Amino acid sequence: MEIDTIPKLFARNRKLYSDKVALREKDLGIWQRTTWDEYWDHVCCFALGLKKLGLQKQDKLSILGDNCREWLYADLATQSSSGVTVGIYPTDVASQVKYILTNSESKFVVAKDQEQVDKILEVKDSLPGLKNIIVVEMKGLRRYKEPMIISFKDVEALGYTINEREPNLFEDMVSETRPDDPAIIVYTSGTTGQPKGAMITHKNMIAMIRGLAEVLNFRQTDSFVSALPLCHIAERMFSLIFPMWAGCAVNFAESVATLQEDLSEISPTAFLNVPRIWEKMHSNVMIKIQDSIFFKRWIFRAMFPVGMRVSEFKLKKQPVPLHWKALYGLAYLLLFRPLRNNLGLLDARIFVSGAAPLSPDLMRFYHAIGVPVRECYGMTEMSGISFMPRDDEIKIGGVGKPIPTVEVKLAEDGEILQKGDSVFAGYYGNPEATREVVIDGWLHTGDVGEMDEDGHLKITDRKKDIIITAGGKNIAPSELENSLKFSSYIKEAIVIGDRRKYVSCLIQIELENVAHWAQNNRIAYTNYKSLATHPDVKKLIQGEVEKTNSNFAQVEKIKKFTILDKELDQDDEELTATMKVKRSSIEKKFKDLIDSMY
Amino acid sequence: MELLQIKNLSLSFGGIVALSLLDITVKEGELHAVIGPNGAGKTSLFNCISGVYPPTSGEILLRGSKISDLKPHEIAKKGIARTFQNIELFANMSVIDNLLLGCHTHMTTGLLSCALFFGRAVRQEEESRLQVERIIDFLEIEKVRKKTVGSLPYGIQKRVEIGRALAMKPKILLLDEPVAGMNVEETEDIARFVLDIKEEMGVTIVMVEHDMGVVMDIANTVTVLDFGSKIGEGSPSEVQSNPQVIAAYLGQ
Repeated sequence: MEIDTIPKLFARNRKLYSDKVALREKDLGIWQRTTWDEYWDHVCCFALGLKKLGLQKQDKLSILGDNCREWLYADLATQSSSGVTVGIYPTDVASQVKYILTNSESKFVVAKDQEQVDKILEVKDSLPGLKNIIVVEMKGLRRYKEPMIISFKDVEALGYTINEREPNLFEDMVSETRPDDPAIIVYTSGTTGQPKGAMITHKNMIAMIRGLAEVLNFRQTDSFVSALPLCHIAERMFSLIFPMWAGCAVNFAESVATLQEDLSEISPTAFLNVPRIWEKMHSNVMIKIQDSIFFKRWIFRAMFPVGMRVSEFKLKKQPVPLHWKALYGLAYLLLFRPLRNNLGLLDARIFVSGAAPLSPDLMRFYHAIGVPVRECYGMTEMSGISFMPRDDEIKIGGVGKPIPTVEVKLAEDGEILQKGDSVFAGYYGNPEATREVVIDGWLHTGDVGEMDEDGHLKITDRKKDIIITAGGKNIAPSELENSLKFSSYIKEAIVIGDRRKYVSCLIQIELENVAHWAQNNRIAYTNYKSLATHPDVKKLIQGEVEKTNSNFAQVEKIKKFTILDKELDQDDEELTATMKVKRSSIEKKFKDLIDSMY
Repeated sequence: MELLQIKNLSLSFGGIVALSLLDITVKEGELHAVIGPNGAGKTSLFNCISGVYPPTSGEILLRGSKISDLKPHEIAKKGIARTFQNIELFANMSVIDNLLLGCHTHMTTGLLSCALFFGRAVRQEEESRLQVERIIDFLEIEKVRKKTVGSLPYGIQKRVEIGRALAMKPKILLLDEPVAGMNVEETEDIARFVLDIKEEMGVTIVMVEHDMGVVMDIANTVTVLDFGSKIGEGSPSEVQSNPQVIAAYLGQ
């Protein structure tokens, strides 16, 4: 049997690794293990239980909830039944949940807990196609009289009895899966308009992973911590597709709130995250250093530049002189080792940042402390990652070369076009949108970039985000924004200036850090708004803006800025579920504020 | 079935009458709220039930057997746990240690076997630790389990205190103003926990609370006190329409 689908990989792994740990989840304060055999049994029972409930080929099953083992059981069970899994962000509100359940025509939905069940119940009357709500944690649901609700364990129990009777049924189902069938639908975060469901086939995923595995060379001893939402393609890749390919272990944190501590307990070998988290970790380090005793501050001031210097040699691919090597050894013992241990990054060998551009200063910081972060480029429509630098190809500001299974070319206007087996199968129920982005097999990414002399891609920005000032100059807002966001006092920056005289900016302050600064400087405030509108805070941010301005050309400099007096929120349609700014809706919402700057 | 019966209970300090001839029956599995203006005797009632004050006259029966002449720790052992209006946790101990203390009433090992730490002492310690983790999971306080209680925000401390009471595996839980001083979100959280304690754990709850919204939403029975005597009792809607209660408490 040729192994050409994810469930078939799963069947192979189960034979190969049987009693090796596949999953860990912290529960009741202890890391609970699941071996590949147990993993298989859970998926088998759940799949057969779903069959009993009426899941047929190509039926959709949605999963709504935070990452946990059951998320993966449900996902694999559906794929093994030749069904299609749809992930929904746990932070989505009821109306968004309804949109995705309706749009994907889901027959079943797996909900993690009471909070998620409530969202579905709120809109269930308008979902005639929905058969069952399968609930992982039944806590608090005892008083619910809804007949649609069934517990995850009960579904597994249903499947268990079937498996007793027909022990080969599940394996037959797995071997019936076909590479060209859609396996998952991933809803794009939708920075513009309603989210679209990208259908991804088994063939797409296998092509992507085969290419990426050649670049990253994963091993069965590797372990990840599942940190991003699983409905996001990047996390799906690291928590599901990679382990299926290479037999790595996946760890689930106890709760979203304990992620940072759980991370340092596990110390994973590979770490993928979005720039927002890299920024957060950096600003936490900087704030904690300020608060520590004099000796520790002195160590940091003395040793950090050593790291900077050595990482410069390495990035330029020059040999590191012996005396710098010796100094670095000292700095490692005194500073970098404890620091990385604290961040949970001590044992990691692969650090990836994706989904949005990472500021160059931030990259330099991480390289200096011995965490060689690399930026990758990918998108849902490419089934995950399509550009990833190899170990010796890491460059600041570049995303490396395409993975071996992807072909790439630049359009005349600089738009990145990609081709290959990992190009998705189309948007679900929206062939027009598919025709707009896939032309003659080439996926039009909507991103503008350029190739450097080594063949590395450098992303400029989203095509539609490029600012053309009234003076006719092209500016990529993300460069300015990332430079601003490197400041530990700035959480979000939205640069404005399209068809305007000069560049201006909306800024959201990082509440925690500015509050800390205000406390140290004895500035009284009551809440976010009073802090954001305080004249001294404005001065503080002015200083940060000037720092950024000094690195940019005259036309690109930010002439005016406004500090937003509210925090941007997903519920107010200002951020996507992955915390990306919805530029167009913000420009509409704060129009008066923006106009007042001109 | 009656779980807790209070019969003709009176309590006075010198000339001050805190409670007079009170009759309250708490049924098994219900959420019984006690409301009343300041100084009505709500906390005194709790103190009588948990044995802090011996009643001047009258008696309190738990499943038909008299408990009003027992000492507080004996009453606790019979399955009555409580929280306090002002948090009474051990501020310099961790959350886990505070909760483990709640398990203490059920430990049967002596000083020697605990010091040597073998056999039953080990088993009981492990059981208690598991019990504590279940409560931590239930109350969603995983993030702070190893933190010192004194360093936690007020709302979380309140939760820890409920956790310590739950660690005693109570039959009846007395909650003294569980949502006082909390914002809307924290109040909703606590109300959800209280309902879950009642339904998932099957614990009967007696609750003193000033937040009428919470009381009317989640209580099965409400008793209204004023100057130490009962002036009304019934379901939340009955109490709300009782003219005496409106005059004394809800205000008109």
